[in-house]
Amino acid sequence: MRALKIAATGMAAQQMRVETISNNLANMNTTGYNARRAEFADLHYQQVARAGAVTASDGTVLPTGVQLGLGVRPTAITIHLSQGSLEATGADLDLAIDGKGYLEVTMPSGQSAYTRDGGLKRTGEGLIVTSDGYPVSPEITVPDDARSVSINGDGEVYVYFQDNAEAQLIGQLSLTGFSNPKGLEALGSNLFSETEGSGPPLIGTPGEDGLGTLRQGYLEASSVDAVREVTELIEAQRGYEMNAKVISAADQMMGATTQVR
Amino acid sequence: MDSQGYITLTRQIGLMREMQVVANNIANSATTGFRQEGVVFSEYVKGMDQGESLSMGQANIGATSFEQGTLTQTAGTFDFAIEGEGYFLVETPGGERLTRAGSFASNGAGDLVTLDGYRVLDTGGAPVFVPPDAASIAVGPDGTISADGNLVGQIGLVVPAEPKDMTREGGVMFDAGGAVLPAENAKVMQGFVENSNVDTITQLARMIEVQRAYEMGQSFLETEDERVRRAVETMTRSQG
Repeated sequence: MRALKIAATGMAAQQMRVETISNNLANMNTTGYNARRAEFADLHYQQVARAGAVTASDGTVLPTGVQLGLGVRPTAITIHLSQGSLEATGADLDLAIDGKGYLEVTMPSGQSAYTRDGGLKRTGEGLIVTSDGYPVSPEITVPDDARSVSINGDGEVYVYFQDNAEAQLIGQLSLTGFSNPKGLEALGSNLFSETEGSGPPLIGTPGEDGLGTLRQGYLEASSVDAVREVTELIEAQRGYEMNAKVISAADQMMGATTQVR
Repeated sequence: MDSQGYITLTRQIGLMREMQVVANNIANSATTGFRQEGVVFSEYVKGMDQGESLSMGQANIGATSFEQGTLTQTAGTFDFAIEGEGYFLVETPGGERLTRAGSFASNGAGDLVTLDGYRVLDTGGAPVFVPPDAASIAVGPDGTISADGNLVGQIGLVVPAEPKDMTREGGVMFDAGGAVLPAENAKVMQGFVENSNVDTITQLARMIEVQRAYEMGQSFLETEDERVRRAVETMTRSQG
């Protein structure tokens, strides 16, 4: 009895949807987080009566036939790349990316990872790092005696010294774009790594080549829309229940079969 | 010869099929671009050697509902919904296929692809290319793609030349079973995806109907069995 298994694939799909939604809601306040959505496709079809099969000797053919579907499968959990709102924090190393692009960071393994979480910090030596302590690439060190740091939209980092009113350029932040950012692999901790699907990193200057600009003193809020997530959650829950109903109906049909002597 | 059992059996097999179709519809109630299916029972008449003929109800005809599904706004650059009659043309290893599931992405090489990685084609059958470095991609109602204001291509919108030859395939795709023609009454909407057109309430109601009809068939078989048993008993008793 295939209806049981078909409904089971439906339940598994709805459960995956609930898991995706719960992860979105859990990350409602994660800086630079983008909502994910589970996508599904139908499984292959079993040909019971093929359309076009000859049904009579005079050449009459079956117009539509019967194709029995075998359920549903998850195809992807796509990331919804939408700009989150910018929240003013006033901190000099908080950077929001207004538009496309990622900041490149160097992981302890030496590999590059990419992030939109611009809540940057300074180490004891003045190196600009992420909240996890990974240095931002290209590496920029803020001198100890710097009074304040100013970063403009194009990523130029200036410092003001106590005895000098003139700002000094100490580095240039870059942004990295991807031809298919949805293909990036999420590593957790707001980090992503490049894959075959994302294409190679295209490093550029903020504000050029379609990349966004940097906003100092702001952080990009999570783009999770709670209303939408909760609506989807209700839908997923009802979908799950309906599939469960199919299982119990199919079970009762089997029960009726076995009761016949 | 007793035919009641066989007649009921055709009906029961058909109902089992319909149950499977209902289960598949409900399982795909959240599948983008999915098209609801139904089963049609038809009468199969068998002439007897003498006297009356036998009529059986068999389910050998499938019907797909091509009703428009509701649209969900996603704001995704590569999410497209079709309003009206038409399909996207997709290149698969098995040949060109049609789909209404417009949740696409661009791959590393800049091709517009489905979530299974198959390339989306234009009306002429050439892959659609999207410049990877474009800041903004806009798609017009006729499928024309412009990157930063420059025309770069067109997403193909087609309809099968012979809709009756169309067969379903996994991955929310259809095989046109012949030539395709440009769609005339279709409109692409960027930033939307079309939901499954499964009407879950009707499907649940149909499921209950199928289940009850099946149980009725089983109880008929049971009564019939009882009747034959009694007849045999009576006859053997009168003999002895």
